[in-house]
Amino acid sequence: MAQDDKALIARLQQHGVEFVLIGGVCGVMHGAGLVTYDLDVCCRLGSVNLRRLEAALKDLNPWHRLTPNKLPFALTDELCSCLKNLYLQTDLGKLDCLGDVKGVGDYDAVLKRSVEFEMSFGRIRMLDLDTLIAAKEAVGREKDKYAVRLLRVLAEKRRGSN
Amino acid sequence: MIDAATLAQMNGEQVCPPHAGPAWREAFEYGFDMSLIEETLTKTPEQRLDEHQQKLNFILEIEATRSRKN
Repeated sequence: MAQDDKALIARLQQHGVEFVLIGGVCGVMHGAGLVTYDLDVCCRLGSVNLRRLEAALKDLNPWHRLTPNKLPFALTDELCSCLKNLYLQTDLGKLDCLGDVKGVGDYDAVLKRSVEFEMSFGRIRMLDLDTLIAAKEAVGREKDKYAVRLLRVLAEKRRGSN
Repeated sequence: MIDAATLAQMNGEQVCPPHAGPAWREAFEYGFDMSLIEETLTKTPEQRLDEHQQKLNFILEIEATRSRKN
């Protein structure tokens, strides 16, 4: 199944979804030479932003990828009030939307520790490098430790060039 | 005549530069190809994402081919 992270990011940006890139793709954009199979974002999981997300993904056949019966992604007022995370499969690939990031905090905390980048389709935000390292250390899986080794090199070089 | 250092580089021998910091040294000793990191740092975030997408497309194509054969 296709995974087109740039197209997914562009969709979110163009529909005004409040999100911050986290996880593997964030690491890639900072310069870590890793391969990651899904797109992780932290986003505000309130009703307004969820409706924007729903609109962004509407024609991509989104469904909850961790449900055994592939439940379609369809918001109700009740669901908006109790969602903590969203793990979606779409025609453009996997999109995981987390309401908070371990080691960092909720969306507002994540937003404070994010940096803005200009992409060809607009400005997007992603976790700053030091916070990404802290987040990966907080999760602590073997693959995160592997990534942290690379990310620490990038942080060290950045400090050196500053 | 090729000097020894250049020949070593051609043969893939990486040397830890004297000014390398502790994180760089640790990654180098762990076994990362540091030349790839250095090259990636010359690119913009969007270029890195585009390159990643190419790699991912290739991997997914291999996996799809493997699934079809099975």
